[in-house]
Amino acid sequence: MSINLRDSGATLWANANKWQRYLIAGAVILAVFALPLLEGTFLNTPSTPFEMVLFYPIGVYVLMALGLNVVVGKSGLLDLGYVAFYAVGAYTAGILSMHTKLNTWEILPIGIALAMLSGLVLGAAVLRLRGDYLAIVTLGFGEIIRITALNTSAVGGANGITNIPNPPTTFGLKFDLDHPRSFYWIVLILIILTILVIRGLSVRRPGRAWESIRQDEDVAELMGVNTYKYKLWAFIFGASVGGAAGVLFASKAMFIAPNIFSYNVSILILAFVVFGGMGNIWGVVVGAVLLSYIPEKIRFISDARMLIFGLVLIIMMNLRPDGLLPRKKREKIGVAGEKSK
Amino acid sequence: MDFSVLTDQFASLTFDGIALGFIYVLIALGYTMVYGVLRLINFANSEVFMLGSFATILVSTKIFNYTIESDPITGFKLVYTLLAMLLGSMIVSGLVSVLIEIVAYRRLRSRTSNRLTSLISAIGVSIVLTEGVRIATSSAPMGSPRLLDKITLVTIWGADIRLDTLLVIVFAIILLITLDLFVNKSRLGKGIRAVSMDYDTSRLMGINLNKVISTTFLIGGLGTGAAAFFYITVYEMTRFSIGFELGLAAFTAAVLGGIGNIRGAFAGGIALGLIEMYASAVLGTQWRSITAFVILILVLLFKPNGIFGESLQQARV
Amino acid sequence: MNKKIKTSAALVAAFALAFGAFATTSASAATTVKIAYQGPLTGPEAQTGTDSLRGVKLAIKLYNAKNPAVKVEVFEGDDQGDDAQGGTVGAGIANDDAVVGVLTAYSGPTIAALPSYKAKGIAIVSPSATRASLTDPTSTSYGAPVFHRIVSNDDLQGPALARVATNGVKDPTVFVVDDQSSYSVGLTKAVKAALGTAFQAGDSAAKGAVSDFSATIAKIKKEKANVVIYTGYYADGAKFLKQLRDKGYKGVYAGGDGVLNSEFPKLAGKKQSEGARLTAPTVPLDVASPKVYAAFKKEFKAEPGVYSTEAFDATNIFLQAIKAGKTTRADILAYLNSSSFSYKNTAGITIKFQPSGDLSGSGLMNQFVVKAGTIKLNGKA
Repeated sequence: MSINLRDSGATLWANANKWQRYLIAGAVILAVFALPLLEGTFLNTPSTPFEMVLFYPIGVYVLMALGLNVVVGKSGLLDLGYVAFYAVGAYTAGILSMHTKLNTWEILPIGIALAMLSGLVLGAAVLRLRGDYLAIVTLGFGEIIRITALNTSAVGGANGITNIPNPPTTFGLKFDLDHPRSFYWIVLILIILTILVIRGLSVRRPGRAWESIRQDEDVAELMGVNTYKYKLWAFIFGASVGGAAGVLFASKAMFIAPNIFSYNVSILILAFVVFGGMGNIWGVVVGAVLLSYIPEKIRFISDARMLIFGLVLIIMMNLRPDGLLPRKKREKIGVAGEKSK
Repeated sequence: MDFSVLTDQFASLTFDGIALGFIYVLIALGYTMVYGVLRLINFANSEVFMLGSFATILVSTKIFNYTIESDPITGFKLVYTLLAMLLGSMIVSGLVSVLIEIVAYRRLRSRTSNRLTSLISAIGVSIVLTEGVRIATSSAPMGSPRLLDKITLVTIWGADIRLDTLLVIVFAIILLITLDLFVNKSRLGKGIRAVSMDYDTSRLMGINLNKVISTTFLIGGLGTGAAAFFYITVYEMTRFSIGFELGLAAFTAAVLGGIGNIRGAFAGGIALGLIEMYASAVLGTQWRSITAFVILILVLLFKPNGIFGESLQQARV
Repeated sequence: MNKKIKTSAALVAAFALAFGAFATTSASAATTVKIAYQGPLTGPEAQTGTDSLRGVKLAIKLYNAKNPAVKVEVFEGDDQGDDAQGGTVGAGIANDDAVVGVLTAYSGPTIAALPSYKAKGIAIVSPSATRASLTDPTSTSYGAPVFHRIVSNDDLQGPALARVATNGVKDPTVFVVDDQSSYSVGLTKAVKAALGTAFQAGDSAAKGAVSDFSATIAKIKKEKANVVIYTGYYADGAKFLKQLRDKGYKGVYAGGDGVLNSEFPKLAGKKQSEGARLTAPTVPLDVASPKVYAAFKKEFKAEPGVYSTEAFDATNIFLQAIKAGKTTRADILAYLNSSSFSYKNTAGITIKFQPSGDLSGSGLMNQFVVKAGTIKLNGKA
């Protein structure tokens, strides 16, 4: 007997009736919300409080991995410049807090809108490209955003923007340095919302269109799917999630600078998605949680931290090429599915 | 925008741009060879370059006992020392490249059709190599002794034509022609082309896939090793992060010219070298990579497969 | 079946990595306090961080050997010189109740971590964060009351660098190259202001992103500059200087404390680096105190680097406070901010702090010159 996490989870869910499902979902959500209470247990991270790690890197990275998953995992578009949308969100928060009195909750929709707009502009220009051409162009876009921020003294150049205000106290929740769990709860709400939206879309027209594009774009086009339109939507959706993550990050860190938004972040998020299992929401969540938690946990061997991270990537990809929790078999195409029979 | 530098120093900027472009061409070959066959970006190629650059320096300092303060040498001694450095770099890079194929790609190739998996595994290899060298060198840059003196041969319209840059250009052209002949004429080369055209059919036709792919990685690695040697001869310094810096530029060059295509790598490399030089002169060095990316996007908008790109059919995911 | 075994093995491997090693929480005795060092211990700036941390460790070792009443430990906070990590690492340091004081290395990560230190009232004594805004009351990154530094800031270094670079040059035409790091941008601003009309033009080449400086050199030739000032760090500075000289430039080359590194003349080449002029608010350890220098070499079997002296001094400031019986965060902060505070540094100079956290008086600025492949102290700048 071995435990197949994905299948036993799926079976449990499939066999449950409506009320049992509410119960399971409620219990899981409650447990996740209660995570900060585990501060001080074996989960503790050596140089950063566990409650803070829950928000950044874990929460923020899970959110971004979910957004990128729609682009890479669901629709098969290789985006190596996802950090651009994160940067757009964060800089929106930074610039607006410099020049206006808007608070984080008012900035959030603006940040999301601007990220979507940049997704639209980039997508409209480059989504006719395929495969690796798309990869290098998105990578370039990420670099263009970062270097432009670096070269523009109006947004602080290399110094970045300091003193970005924390969110105001809301529903009795304080948002400041001493209350990291409030930030965690907010990012958790965004994560749950994102998951709900993706699940909703997956079983409807856009989800099916993305799936068909991922399997074979030409066939999808022949079957009457407006591939360009749905690719663009996938891009814009991914961008909106990245933008939201950026606004939240800026409001927590209170400080942003161009080198925070380097190309490495795009690669890291992509690694989360592929590591966890492309296209499967839960796989991506598990991948992002593990891979953002491990480097924090092993900070005491700080010098070899990234080296071990790289080794984990190689070993895992060789042992489980489809990720920790791959998508369901019926969704897979060709070779891999047939072989395992 | 200030065109005065461009007009004032046009000849020397152009020559420097071409010289830099040839370095890009040599590194781009590694990407293009592998892409041509496997249809995937070998993300670890930048680390092959990085290790080659360290190997070049270590041959001169550990085997020949030169130090960073050694004076340039001449005559026969210079020739065999440089050849040993070149060989050392090519051997290390070639071996590393083949190893990367075995560790990061071979197993995955038979188990999954998902190209992104190999990409992440290659990124893993890249991280391991970069971090390994970073720890080994404590992040410090490593300088190379100047064995080949930088003699100015002629000065044309204010541009100095130097021996080292001329060597790069001559060698790069020889390498390009050899590679082009090899891929088009030799038996193994034909195998490589067959695999690059149709992976499954060529397997059916009895081509030993693993051998062909290993050979491709070996050739890509050897070329990258040569690139590393010439880079060190011209710039005389390396560090663990060099792979990313030059790898990204070389990769851009390969795509600009049309990846998977040796002539494309040539055109893309030279074009990128010139673009970077002119952009730095007119807009300032801080805008050079942005200009390169913007031009790349524009080129791809009008020619979606690069200047010398293959047909869309072949570029499919 | 085989596949499932592998599945489980892989999962076990991942979880073992994640949760396996958690025996790192050390129980701190009541008589032990920690001094934290927040700086780049890994990453591209690791050399500077390692050199400074050695200064910290040496000071603490010498102290622990003599004063058994309150033992001191070092808390190593590795921010990789990265602004993004600065905030996280700073929060971690602030959260360890045993930490009574912190040394921060780089300005960017210091600013990112400042909210944490301010909230918890932890005193900072920085050996190397030179950005002017940290002690500028009108700036948003003003560090008082927690921030102090024992080096002169870039607003002081800028004029000194301009002065040293143009010293003895007839009709100086100056070209300034920065590396777009926040350190470099701040220093460049101060240098340009001090140069006045001698400043001709400039260029920016992002740190670590440029191998070929030909375009910058073409600009220098076009402007017919006879003084070139580089405001970035030593690796790129050496690469740039080498190419500059190889292309026939004969004028002055000058740089700030970022360039001051014993590797600089080697990387740039003996011939090319000859006569390069440098300024820095630091004192090489062998110059400051031959005795401490000997102890350093004995302890680490390595040469001290830039800011080893200052890190040693900054640590000693905290140790002086601890010796005076101040072992809580609040007491130490009050001790540093009191008007009676003074400290005699390794070079024998008595230093005091202004309310802004900067040093009192005009501050120290040295100039150096490269001779036959080594950097020589050339007196006050």
